[in-house]
This record gives sequence, C-alpha cells and structure tokens, in this order.
Amino acid sequence: MITARNIHRTFTSGDIVTHVLKGVDVDIAEGEFVAIMGKSGAGKSTLLYQLSVLDRPTKGTLMIDGVDVLALDESEQTSFRLNTLGFVFQDYALVPDLTSRENVMIPLLMRGMTWVQAKDVAVEALDAVGLKGKYENLPSQLSGGEQQRASIARAIAGKPKILFADEPTANLDTFSGDQVIKLLGELHKNGQTIVMVTHEPEYTSECNRIIEMEDGLITGERKK
Amino acid sequence: MRSIRIGLLLGLRQIQRANIWTNVLIIFVMTLTFLNLIAVSGILVGLIVGSERAFRQQAIGDIMISPKPEEAHIVNTQDIVRTLNNYPDIENFTVRYIENAKVEANYKERRDLTGERDVVTTRIRGIDPEIENKTTGLSSRVIEGEYLSSDDQGAILVGSLTLEKYASGFGDAFDSLSNVSIGDTIRVTVGNASKEFKVKGVVRSKVEDVSMGMFIPEKEFRRLFGRFDRNADQIAVRVSHSVSEDVVKAHMLSDGIDEYAKVETFVEGMPKFLTDIKNTFNILGTFIGSIGLVVASITIFIIIFINALSRRRHIGILKAVGIERRTIELAYVAQAAFYAVVGSAIGALITYAVLVPYVDLHPINFPFSDGILVVDTFTTLSRTGILLLVTLAAGFVPAWLIARQNTLNSILGR
Repeated sequence: MITARNIHRTFTSGDIVTHVLKGVDVDIAEGEFVAIMGKSGAGKSTLLYQLSVLDRPTKGTLMIDGVDVLALDESEQTSFRLNTLGFVFQDYALVPDLTSRENVMIPLLMRGMTWVQAKDVAVEALDAVGLKGKYENLPSQLSGGEQQRASIARAIAGKPKILFADEPTANLDTFSGDQVIKLLGELHKNGQTIVMVTHEPEYTSECNRIIEMEDGLITGERKK
Repeated sequence: MRSIRIGLLLGLRQIQRANIWTNVLIIFVMTLTFLNLIAVSGILVGLIVGSERAFRQQAIGDIMISPKPEEAHIVNTQDIVRTLNNYPDIENFTVRYIENAKVEANYKERRDLTGERDVVTTRIRGIDPEIENKTTGLSSRVIEGEYLSSDDQGAILVGSLTLEKYASGFGDAFDSLSNVSIGDTIRVTVGNASKEFKVKGVVRSKVEDVSMGMFIPEKEFRRLFGRFDRNADQIAVRVSHSVSEDVVKAHMLSDGIDEYAKVETFVEGMPKFLTDIKNTFNILGTFIGSIGLVVASITIFIIIFINALSRRRHIGILKAVGIERRTIELAYVAQAAFYAVVGSAIGALITYAVLVPYVDLHPINFPFSDGILVVDTFTTLSRTGILLLVTLAAGFVPAWLIARQNTLNSILGR
C-alpha cells in the first residue's frame, strides 16, 4: 500500500542545515495498523508527514496505492489526499466556525456528495465514534476527547484507504486516550489501514507493527 | 460548482461566527465608502445642476432665442412671435427687451454734490409682467413689495443684489444702492435721458439675471430706450413636458426662425463655465470617492488578512483534508463580497430613501444655487460595481497569500 524508499528530509534555515530524515525505507501493507515510535526529535512526525503527502521529501521515492505521489502537483496531491487518505491530528484540528457535523461534511461535499448524502454519512460517522446527538455542537462546545472523536469521524467518513494519526492521544486524558485508541483498533479490525505516530507505548496495544525511530533513521521494527 | 458551494458555506459560517460588532463595523465602513462614492460627488454636481435648473427655470427657458452675432437685436421679432403663437408644443414664451442703464438712489437727499453718488450700473429688462410670470414664475421671487402689472407706469421691480441691505452679505462684490425701500424713488439714466421710478417690489433669486437686474413693463422700456421697432433681445420659450426642446427647436429651424435670430436649447445656451464647473466637480467627486475606495479596500485587505492569518492553521488543515486552495480563497472572497453588498445596499437605501428626498425638500443653500443631490442609476450601478470589484480583490489577495503557503507549515505554524 505504501512503499517509501530512501526518504530524506532536510530543513535549511540560513546557514544551518538540519537533516531530520536520513534515508528511510518503509513498506506498509493494506490492513496494517502501524505505530511509529521514538523519542522527541527522532523524526517520527516528519516521516508521517512525508508518507501522508503533507510534505515533500528532499530526496527519495514514495508510492501510495500504486501512485507516484511525488510526481503529482499541489492540486493533484490535494485531490489525492481527499480521495485516498484520512487524517487525525494531535490537537483535533477542527474548523472552529463549523459544527461537528459540518466539519465531517466538508470533505464529503468536496468529493461531490450532495448536501443530503454528506449529511447522512456525517451523522453515521459521528454516531460510529460515539457523538450521537452532538451534531450541531461547535468544536468549542465539545470536550477534548469528543473533539478528537469528531476529528476521527471526519477522517473515516470518506472511507479512506489509509488513516494517518499524528499523536492522537497526546492532548487527551488517559480515559479519553484509551477510548480513541479503542476506536482506532475497531476501525483496524474492520480492515482500515492505519499509520499512527505516538511516543506512549501503552497506546500501541491495538497495533500489529511498531516502527522505532531514532535520529532520523529506522532503528527497529516489532510485529505483534 | 463544488468549490463555489463549499467556499460559500465556509465564508457564510465565518461571517455567522464572527463578532457581531466586527461585522457591523466593517459594514459601516462599506456604507460610508458607498456614500463617499455616490453621495459626495452627487452633492458636488448637484450644486451646479441646481444652478442650471434655476437658470433654466428663471432665465433662459427651455429654448432661448437671441440676436444673431451681427445684429443688435432679434430681427423681425414680431414675425417670430406670430410664428411661435402657432406652435402647439410651446406652453409659454416671454419676450424681453434688455439695456444697460445707470440707476441712482438717494439723489434728492444728497447735499454734497462733489461727493460720491449712490449709483449702480445694471441691466434693465422690459417685460410683459403676466407673460414673464407664466414663463418663469418671476412673481414667486418677490420678497418685498409687489409684483409688476402690465399697466403699471413708473414702477420698477429691483433685484435684491442691487440693494445694499441684501448685497451686504457678499461684501464689496457688487455695487448696490443704500437705504432703498419699497415706494422709494430711483432714477434710471440711459445716455442723456433719465426717468424716475418707484420701487414696487424686490425680487430675490440665485440666478444672477434676476437678482442683479431690474424689471419694468415693456411699454415703459420701449419709451425710455427708444425701442420703437419692437425688436426684442431675448425670447425665452417654455415647451410642454410631453415634447423635447430639440424637437421644438428643429421645428423653429424648419420655419426659418434661425434666419433672423440665434436659436439654442437650454443645453446649448448654458454658460460654458457652468458646464466646466460641473465637469470639474464631477472629477473632484470621483477623486474624493477614489480616496474612499482605496481606504475601504485597504480596510478590507487588513481585515481579511488578519482573519486569514489568524486562521492560517485551519486553512492548512482544510488543505490537508483535501479542500482545494481556490475553495478556501473563495470563502474569503465571499466574506468580502458580503460586506461590500450589504454595505452598498444600506448605502443605496440611505441615498435613495433618505438623502435624495430630503435634499429635494431642503436644498443645500449654496450662495449661487440651491444644490440638489444628483444620483443617476448608471453612475450608482457602475460605482457600486467598482466598489464590489475592488472589495473582492482586497478580499482575494490576502486569502491567496495565506492559502498558497505550504500546507504543513500552515498547520505547524512555522
């Protein structure tokens, strides 16, 4: 599903050049739930951004679902993300002006669904993550755990081929964090491919593979 | 279509969730900009249009017949009058005889014969009072005393600015007669001939021909000035509302009136300086409006820029989840359009429902005219269109600047 080869990512600030990724090779198969772990500064989030086409590697090749995504222009990459990928961000990243239902509906409308179709699918997704009855709530009217679940609803409503989660539990209390991981585990059981970054081992319980990183390189892999 | 729909939804929600007072303030700025664009130039032009209207109403009529350049007076005036009497499209016309004369007051009380005489040089108009009144409404301008009647003898109607008590407000701009009241005698001198008249009334108008002139019945005029050929100096024609003055003029030309006199419509006969002032005021109004437009566009730019900058992360997130850049830009353009349309609509409502009727009822008291507010549909629409376009651009540019930034940088705030 994902084949990344020799991925380098360098950041330049004036005369200072920082090599964050130093030649990473990754393969992720369909249906896997992969956790990328490592200490702060190991490059795990940067790797996730390359794999999820949010950033462009300085060097390397990346094939996702048979598409050479680095050959796509910005507009094509946006369209690719819309139709193929789902995202869950660390701090929920909901649009504050939209209700939870509208937040879920926006990508669906962008995909070409009618308002009624998008509304039905959004309600279904919100129900699935346990937000029944909170469709009209603005993000500010939801707790952190609820916002993260709304964010997951937005990510899964379009049935993406791969779901990326960047430290989805980092801003949550233990109870809410457990619920989110349980939810991701259920999605995985239903066949969803998930790539998650976390630095908390206790949240890798649902994963079937753990990639460990250090100093911009993959230093180990564990299958569960 | 999809982008437009989502862009409009995002824009609408931003407006709905924004602080109400922020929205009110932005719309207020847009309303003021609209008024600056439409009403300011409308008032400036209206000062001159008011003057033109008064000049047309009180002096030259819809069509003015005057002597040909090579003639002192209108040749064959009586033939022309007979011809005009047969025109069904002419409501009224007034025949005027005009000469310059010296008018002196207080000469009976004058003790020091070497001292300065109380005298003004003015234009005396010989008129048929009834017909003049029907054509120009001169009697309605009487502010003191009475209007002339056709059989008056030795009576004169004087323009207010020939009297010191009315002209003093203009400083030393005009020569004027002091201590002249209704019933006082003044002496009119033409060459070596003089005749005394009693002041019967005073007329005031913002049309110079009225306020700085004097009027006597035409019979007296012809006797005083020896104008026994009855060739007049002006014929002011009022045409009926149902017909254009151009049509009537064409009729006059086809009847050969132009062989004896110059025939001009109101527009053709209007003094060039009025047209020049009108054009200058129009340019001035446009210039002032343009400054307002620039200020409004900068205001909108700053508002949208701050709005987009504060939502930079959300813009990045929207792009991350697959929302096209143009959709996001459209959301901000829609916001700017909303402010422009609502502001313009309120501005148009204030202009057409409040300002225009109010200024019509209470004209602006400009020393040389009663100013009105001139707003025509074409100008309003074209300037509203410009305001909308400028606002859309001012909304688009900051959204474009923010939305084109790297998606990840926007999300991570770096």
